Amino acid sequence: MSLRSFIGIVASPRPRVGKTFIARLLADFHLYNGRDVAAYDLNAPDDALTQSLPAHAVSASIAEVRGQMALFDALVREDSAYKIVDVGAEAFERFFLLARDIGFAGEARKRGMAPVVFYVASPDAPSVDGYAALARLFPEAVLVPVHNEHLGPAQYRDRFPPHGKGSALLHVPALAPGLRRMAEQKPFSFLEASGVAMPDAPRDAPLEMQRWLRKVFLEMRELELRVLMADLQSSLNVSS
Amino acid sequence: MAKPTVILVGADKGGVGKTTVARTLLDYFNAHQVSTRAFDTEAPRGTLKRFHPDITEVVDVTQVADQMKIFDTLGSANAKVTVIDVRAGLLSSTLRALNEIGFLDAAKKGQITFAVFHILGPSIASLEEIAETASVVGDASYFLVKNFINNTTFFDWDPATYNSYFNRIKGASEITVPKLNEMACEQVELAGAPFVSFVANKDAKGDAANYSFVLRGYVRHWLGSVWSEYDRVKLMDLIGQSEEGVRAAS
Repeated sequence: MSLRSFIGIVASPRPRVGKTFIARLLADFHLYNGRDVAAYDLNAPDDALTQSLPAHAVSASIAEVRGQMALFDALVREDSAYKIVDVGAEAFERFFLLARDIGFAGEARKRGMAPVVFYVASPDAPSVDGYAALARLFPEAVLVPVHNEHLGPAQYRDRFPPHGKGSALLHVPALAPGLRRMAEQKPFSFLEASGVAMPDAPRDAPLEMQRWLRKVFLEMRELELRVLMADLQSSLNVSS
Repeated sequence: MAKPTVILVGADKGGVGKTTVARTLLDYFNAHQVSTRAFDTEAPRGTLKRFHPDITEVVDVTQVADQMKIFDTLGSANAKVTVIDVRAGLLSSTLRALNEIGFLDAAKKGQITFAVFHILGPSIASLEEIAETASVVGDASYFLVKNFINNTTFFDWDPATYNSYFNRIKGASEITVPKLNEMACEQVELAGAPFVSFVANKDAKGDAANYSFVLRGYVRHWLGSVWSEYDRVKLMDLIGQSEEGVRAAS
């Protein structure tokens, strides 16, 4: 079946690397493209994503089977929404082991949804090891290493090779300090901030935010197209 | 005609998951395209029959007429494998009855392949059942099944004591059935469908269902673990069908 939508899973075994920031960007990217968004926040008790995107995000938990059903059954549901999961560091191992055991990636693919793991890379050993483990656990998933420039220069990117059809490094440039403080408000929309003057924002803030957002959205769009093209190529190879 | 196989699934205690194991066997053989029939001795209504109605008949194994129905048709039935889900508490007595009718002799002579799946409970008393069964199991392939249902730990067993019972039966093999998530287990029971059908999101009639993907995933993962155990003890070789033979046939 050809791909109809994506399930974006933003993850890292490390806390405070910008997972929720990336998840919010992803949500705004889809909204910018006129898509429905359903986001799931596995960051209890902080619920940072839910507070930032109250109209599109809900808090989730995989501690019990009912919570697992509420999350994963919703992720594979065949509807129009582009789904995003912000996997907190505490939930990292449990989430991916469960996803593996229940055959999540294969089921999503069968239903025309591409599971794409946006792995926010950091140079420490747990992060490197976690990435390698995911590549082994999920051969069907697209594993995208994310370089969040806010964490510093990506001198370690060779330890996070893109994995899966169409994958490539996603580079998220650092946001200027003033704009970053703006972005930390809750709720906050990158789209609105780039298009509408905010009371406390510097005069050129919307323009600067627009430029920054354009760069990020362009990379996301290119990634999306690469994944779609790779999938199409695959189907053509299979059918010929 | 290939040698028929009879598999007895029993326990001397109720509630240890005997019928669950019988169901996994039926699904395993079906997946390997081995023709199978089953006899459910929980007369009159049966328990196994609810999940595999098309291939299961409810019988009273203490009645001669039903014994004839099972054992006199081994050579003529279309099914290569006959699974008998023995009522709890009747395993040893059923084996004694089979001995009396010459069935164990036929197995010894190689006319029939005979296997016993003895489902164990967690208590020490369950180990003593092995001793009782050992005296009547004859030359059957004997599988001791530790079924981890209801948070059973089997930690009550001292390994040395367990081994002493285990070693009383020559050639006995151990099979571990891991715990299936309770909610998944409950949903399969409610569905009344074979495990494989539940995983495929089909109801008892084979029509499309709407089961939880997560619960289906739990069952699929669990069933895979159970079948890996059957592969490990070379169950297909035991019934006289290698994987190559199955692939060639299909």
